[in-house]
Amino acid sequence: MTPGIVPPFLLDRLASTDDPRMARAAEAARKTLAVPRPTRPTRSRLRLSIEGDTLVAETGPAPDRIISDAANTENLPGRRVRSEDDGPSGDTAVDEAYDGLGETYDFFWDAFARDGIDAAGGSLLATVHFGDDYDNAFWNGERMVFGDGDGEVFVGFTRSLSVIAHELGHGVTEASGGLEYQGQSGALNESLSDVFGALAEQHHRSQSADEASWLIGAGIFAAAVQGEALRSMKAPGTAYDDDVLGKDPQPGHMRDYVETTDDNGGVHINSGIPNKAFYLAATALGGFAWERAGLIWYRTITAGTLSPTADFSAFATATLSAAASEYGEKSEEVAAVRAAWAGVGVEEDAPA
Amino acid sequence: MPQPDTENDAESAGRFVVIVVRSGGLAGLSKQWRAEPDPDGLPRWQQLVESCPWDDAPAASRGADRYQWRIEVHHGDTAVHQARLDDGQVEGPWRTLVDEVRQAAPSRPVRR
Repeated sequence: MTPGIVPPFLLDRLASTDDPRMARAAEAARKTLAVPRPTRPTRSRLRLSIEGDTLVAETGPAPDRIISDAANTENLPGRRVRSEDDGPSGDTAVDEAYDGLGETYDFFWDAFARDGIDAAGGSLLATVHFGDDYDNAFWNGERMVFGDGDGEVFVGFTRSLSVIAHELGHGVTEASGGLEYQGQSGALNESLSDVFGALAEQHHRSQSADEASWLIGAGIFAAAVQGEALRSMKAPGTAYDDDVLGKDPQPGHMRDYVETTDDNGGVHINSGIPNKAFYLAATALGGFAWERAGLIWYRTITAGTLSPTADFSAFATATLSAAASEYGEKSEEVAAVRAAWAGVGVEEDAPA
Repeated sequence: MPQPDTENDAESAGRFVVIVVRSGGLAGLSKQWRAEPDPDGLPRWQQLVESCPWDDAPAASRGADRYQWRIEVHHGDTAVHQARLDDGQVEGPWRTLVDEVRQAAPSRPVRR
């Protein structure tokens, strides 16, 4: 569907409500969904693979990547330097961003049949070389933006596929209804991006849950920094312990929840708790993490029923509902998800 | 000239101190800068501070992983101004004030 100003999930939700107070809005939503929309050209491609002795040909949508260069200013979007089908630019950050967006797109399509950030084949926009010695990467609501780092602590944010997929993941969360970027809902927003970041990397490397590092941002620290990554989903609080940066402050359990007013209420700190819950669920189920645990988390945010202000407990309940819908109430998936949230102190253990 | 950061800060009555804390970002790391102007520089710093629209709360920005800025002005033990801004909102007089504070004092990691 070509996207309109009202996202399709919202129209679907309105159209299906049986609340008599919303009858007029529901009817309007149904009419809107029924109107044929102008078609927009979308990109497609033929992918070939070998399964056993069989050559498999598969057609599917393709990404539409546009990379711009801010030339070390803070002006967005910058000069367009590489578009879809262009060859390598020779600029490392440009080409890393281009490749990373492609690998992230492939992950979302292969795992969830999602066609890009808006699920409708919209362009994937990114800007590199943002700012002067800029030690950050972010999602600005329209595009992914990457600094080069200062060279002393960070050496470039496009080096890590998990970072690129983390930023693209913020776009997916926003397009799916969003989670308010404050407190626990903000920490869930952050955690979802870490989940997508880790899964995109595992998908690209064909790694199972027990083979993966579960690190976010490996390779973006300078050699002198005493740390291996920004965060560890497997062991929150252990990613770095450095003279200048201090120690990784992430908790992995509710008893260690950090109350703070900075960082939008600690969204990058307390995300360690839902991160650990996802890791526990994924490793309990085994295999490729995107196939079951990832699908449950994805269904949770795209069902159109999650409140943008959901806290950890509400999100845990929503993952249990998603698991039950997908696999059944008595499934091992529901049991694994319940045990995972109990393992981080968000839910109680199931009664024996 | 602004003086170097010291740990003996706002306890001393009458001292004028401007603190800037940058938190958030993809890495979630915090940095703090602090300026404590001497008497000769005080009028210029007061002008920098008063040119900022402290009472006009800016609308929240879209997006994620942006830096968040906390800017505080202390006079002795009293916090006379405080503002929280998203990265994109640090412009105009806010940008001037933040840049002056960052130039006046070296950064230090914030103990959480």
